[in-house]
Amino acid sequence: MKKTILILLFLASILLGDYEKDVKLPSVTFPMAQDEDFKAIQRNCQWCHSHGYILNQGKQSKAFWRASVVKMRDVYKAPITQQDEQIITDYLFRHYGK
Amino acid sequence: MQRRDFFRLSLGACAVVLGSNAFGLTREPLDNQRVIDIAFPQKRPLITYSDRPPLLETPMEFFGSAITPNDAFFVRWHMPRIPTHKFIDQYRLSIHGAVKNHTYLSIQELKSEFKAVEVTAVLQCGGNSRSAFVPTTSGIQWGNGAMGCAKFKGVRLMDVLKRAGLDKDARWIGLNGDDKAAFHKTENFKRELAISEINDDVIIAYEMNGEELPFLNGYPIRLIVPGMYSDSWVKMLSNISVTKEYQELFYMDKAYRIADNECECETPDNLAKKTKPITTMNIKSVIAYPKNGSSIKVDANVIAKGVAFDSGHGIKEVLISVDDGESWKSAELGSELSPYAFREFRFAFRAKSRGVLTIMAKAINNLGQEQPKPSEIKWNRSGYKYNGIDSISLEVV
Repeated sequence: MKKTILILLFLASILLGDYEKDVKLPSVTFPMAQDEDFKAIQRNCQWCHSHGYILNQGKQSKAFWRASVVKMRDVYKAPITQQDEQIITDYLFRHYGK
Repeated sequence: MQRRDFFRLSLGACAVVLGSNAFGLTREPLDNQRVIDIAFPQKRPLITYSDRPPLLETPMEFFGSAITPNDAFFVRWHMPRIPTHKFIDQYRLSIHGAVKNHTYLSIQELKSEFKAVEVTAVLQCGGNSRSAFVPTTSGIQWGNGAMGCAKFKGVRLMDVLKRAGLDKDARWIGLNGDDKAAFHKTENFKRELAISEINDDVIIAYEMNGEELPFLNGYPIRLIVPGMYSDSWVKMLSNISVTKEYQELFYMDKAYRIADNECECETPDNLAKKTKPITTMNIKSVIAYPKNGSSIKVDANVIAKGVAFDSGHGIKEVLISVDDGESWKSAELGSELSPYAFREFRFAFRAKSRGVLTIMAKAINNLGQEQPKPSEIKWNRSGYKYNGIDSISLEVV
C-alpha cells in the first residue's frame, strides 16, 4: 500500500513538475511540386530543414539553386552525392525556376 | 575550382540572368505575408516559414506598441533538433575553461542566488527585412517582423562569470545552447563574446514580459545582449566556455558577417574580400497602422502608429511624410522604456483628397543618425541590416 502511494506520488510529481515542459511542436505541410525527382529532395533536404525553407526563396535562377545545394553540402555538411546535387538542382529549377 | 570561386561565379551568372539587377538593388521588404491557421506552443498563429526548425514572423499590426506580446514574438532557430522535453530541476548552466571552479548552476540557483535585473530591449534578426534585397540573397526572406521588444528579467552575465572566478588572462567566452544539428559534422550554433564587451545590461534571462521565457524563445534561459543583433542572444543556453584566445567558430567566422567597408556593401559580381561581424543594430522604424494597402475615408481623422529603435543611443525624433517625402513633420513619441527598447510614435492626419496616399516614417537618433531611403541602401550578399525609411500606401476613398 505504502509502495503504491509512493509510486503514485512519484508519478504525480513527474506530471506536475514536467507536464508543461513537454512541448509538442506542430508539423506544417509545405506542399512541393510532385514528380519522380521529389524523392531526392526527401532523402537529402529534410534532415536539417522543412520544405518551407525552399519555398520561401521564391522563383530563382538555376545558378542560385545550384549554389544553395552546394552550400548545404560544403558549408553545412549535408551528405549530398554528386548525382543528387544534379537531380536536386534540376528539380528546383524545373519547378521553382525563373 | 575552389568552392568560393564557384559561389562567386554562380552569383555572377545569376546577375547576368537578372540583367539590371546585377548591381544589387533594394526595394520595400515584403509586407504582411500570410498567417497560417496552426498555432505553435505558447504562440498565436503567426507568419510561418518553417516548422522544423521553427521560423515564425510577427505580423506588422503588433508594432504599434513598444512591447511585443510573448505569443506574437518572432521565432528563429537554426538547428533541427530542439529538446522538447525538459526535467527543469536537472537543467544546468555549465561555466568552465579559464575559471577557478567549473561551475554548474540550476535555474533555481540563478533565480535565488544572484541579483535579479530587468532590461527592456529589442531583439532583431540581422536578416530582418531581407526580402528587400534584389537579387535574392541567401537566407530566409523575412518581411519586417523578425523583431520584437520585451522586458527581460534575469541575472547579469558578469555576476555568473564572477561566481566561477575568471582567470586573470581570460578574454573570451563561447556560448552554446541545447539545440543540435542533424549531422555531427555540421557546426552547432556557438557564439563568442569578448569579456571586455560584457556590460551590466548583458543578462541571462529566465523571464520575458513577466512570464517564464516561452519555449520557442529559448526556455529556460537565453542570453540578452541589448543593442546587438539576435545572433548573439543564444537560446536554451547551457554552456559557457571561458578561453584566453579567440576560438574560430563557424557562426562567428563564416555566418552573420557583412562587407568590411564604409557602406557595408558589395555587388553580386564584386563581393567584398574582407568581412566583419554584423554586431550592433542600425536605426530603424516601421509603420504598423494603418495597414499597408488598406483604405481610409477622405477627411477622416486617422492616426498612424509605429515603433522606432536603434542600438541604444536612443530615439530623438520620428519624422512623417504624407506627400512622398516632400515635407516632414514630427510624430508624437511615447515614453522611453529603455534606450534599447522600441519607442512608440503616433501621427494624426487627414487625407484631403481621394486616390493613393503614401505615408513614410524616418527615425533619427540622439547621435543624429537617420534612416536612409530604401534606394540608398546598397546590397550585401547575405541581406543583413536593412533599415530603409518605411512607407505604406493607402487608398483614400
